[in-house]
Amino acid sequence: MAVDETRLGEVVETTTTGFWAQCYRLYEAPALGALVRTGGPYPAYAVVHHVSTQGIDASRRPVARGADAATEQDVYLSNPQLSQLLRTEFQAVVVGHSVEGDPRYHLPPSPPPIYAFVYACGPEEIRRFTSNVAFLRPLATSGIAALEEVVAACLSLAAQAQSDSNGFLVEAGKQLMGILPGEFRRVEAILQRATR
Amino acid sequence: MSLDLHKVAGQIEAAASALNAQGTDRADRLDRALGVLANARPDDLEEKRQLSRATFLIPGLVGSMAGRHPCPALPASYTALAVDGSHIDVDRHLPVQCFLINIGRVRIRYGDDPGAWLDSDPRLYADEDSLHVFEPGGSRSRPLEGPLLGAMRAVEELRALANLARQSDPDIPTIALIDGSLILWGLAGQAHPEFVREALLDDLFLPAMEDLRELARSRPLALASYISLPRSTEVVNALRLDASLCHYEAANCDMHCRTLRPGQRPCDGVSGVLDRELFEEWLKVNERSDLFASSSTIVEGRYGDHLVYFYYLNAGSELARVEIPKWVAEDSSLLELTHALIVDQCRKGHGYPVAISEAHEQAVVTVGDREEFRLIVEDALQRRRLPVYTSEKDRSKRTKWL
Repeated sequence: MAVDETRLGEVVETTTTGFWAQCYRLYEAPALGALVRTGGPYPAYAVVHHVSTQGIDASRRPVARGADAATEQDVYLSNPQLSQLLRTEFQAVVVGHSVEGDPRYHLPPSPPPIYAFVYACGPEEIRRFTSNVAFLRPLATSGIAALEEVVAACLSLAAQAQSDSNGFLVEAGKQLMGILPGEFRRVEAILQRATR
Repeated sequence: MSLDLHKVAGQIEAAASALNAQGTDRADRLDRALGVLANARPDDLEEKRQLSRATFLIPGLVGSMAGRHPCPALPASYTALAVDGSHIDVDRHLPVQCFLINIGRVRIRYGDDPGAWLDSDPRLYADEDSLHVFEPGGSRSRPLEGPLLGAMRAVEELRALANLARQSDPDIPTIALIDGSLILWGLAGQAHPEFVREALLDDLFLPAMEDLRELARSRPLALASYISLPRSTEVVNALRLDASLCHYEAANCDMHCRTLRPGQRPCDGVSGVLDRELFEEWLKVNERSDLFASSSTIVEGRYGDHLVYFYYLNAGSELARVEIPKWVAEDSSLLELTHALIVDQCRKGHGYPVAISEAHEQAVVTVGDREEFRLIVEDALQRRRLPVYTSEKDRSKRTKWL
């Protein structure tokens, strides 16, 4: 059976507030700030905030192989086993979930199970979920590294899916001011990056 | 109390000093061996070999012995197949008698449509029939454990390799690689009764070899085994027959030199030199030596059409021994294929064939795996309310107390 094109990978570590997913294909992680959805009894919506690629076996560190190769691609072509020995994973912070297709902007009753499939959200699904900027609260209060970059990237992608991008960003800015009171410069920096 | 390394360190220093003192003598013997190799007359040596009764293993010489063969061109596309195995031996401290063989299997395709498949196939053997080799029609049996289990693992590795080859693309040049020797040394000698050799070698190992040969009749497939850091001395042993060292027309060590201590015999002028040391000096990077035929009793007595030949290969970072069956040795295109592909595999694997290296990684059973294996066995028994017991010795080892 052909795998759904939007299926990115599977949850390999899970908590109430976020999860790690392993990608099916090397380097094919969703973009920073992308909205993804999991399977499982309470399909979770989550924002990608960390991507890593490393050896499957932590005791085997990659060694330089390309001294004689013309391009980076050649390194992989002449060492086909590498795609089996490296893996790409991404970490996402849960910002809501879905109940019978309706978005909810709080954490699901239980996190997605291990091996839950993770799907990329299409433009319509992004538009629908992010039309309520309440999704920003769990993201902006999550304490993740590079928070400003992730929120800005997420807003940029969400704005592209909305018919009124500017109106959406204004709403998002107001929401962020409420979440990050007294941090006007920070919110301004996020919005500037989101509009670039 | 763990090993007292302070006490050991002094002994290591003394041993290293002794080795250092032997260095000059060893260098002289290596120089002498290189001189004999350069001037050797292989036909004469082969004739003498056949007439001789030496106490050391001398390979069959097929044509020249001092040749240096440059690396042939690499095909545009090729497949490397490799297997390697590891096992968990029967542990009498475990509550159930069983062993596990884990075979790592690798297929890597280079050139057009590159890709890789890495896999491991662990199999548990726990029933009475699997734990012993039985004498057909007789009452004798031998438990499959220790060195005999090692031989069984080698058998399973070759069978897995034959299966892998059968599933491989028949249209592109393929090398089927195994780590170590094609010779089942564990079954050589008199350590095991005849029915054990029949069960493992005649009924399993050689038929797998035959499967590979059958496949090779219709596709460009070569079987080879790769021995890293070989310690064999067979080619140097052949040099010991040279007239400059052994003055007898036909050597008979027991008759002519029995009263002489090792080191005093005329042929000791080159003894102690490893083939590896000889060919490290003789071969340039990526060159291979001439072919030699193994004359081990088990090969000559039982391998039939699959007699083992070998050559030495300067793989760059080390001097390796490559063993091939007769049907590869006698087909120059397959022989060249082994040479070109093993050189490329070593280049890609930073000095060691990458396919074997990855097969090893798939096969490896770590200390943690062994402990987990034990726990799973105990858990399975407990869930079925079967007795779980272990020896007090084992319990004592696992429980540190004062």
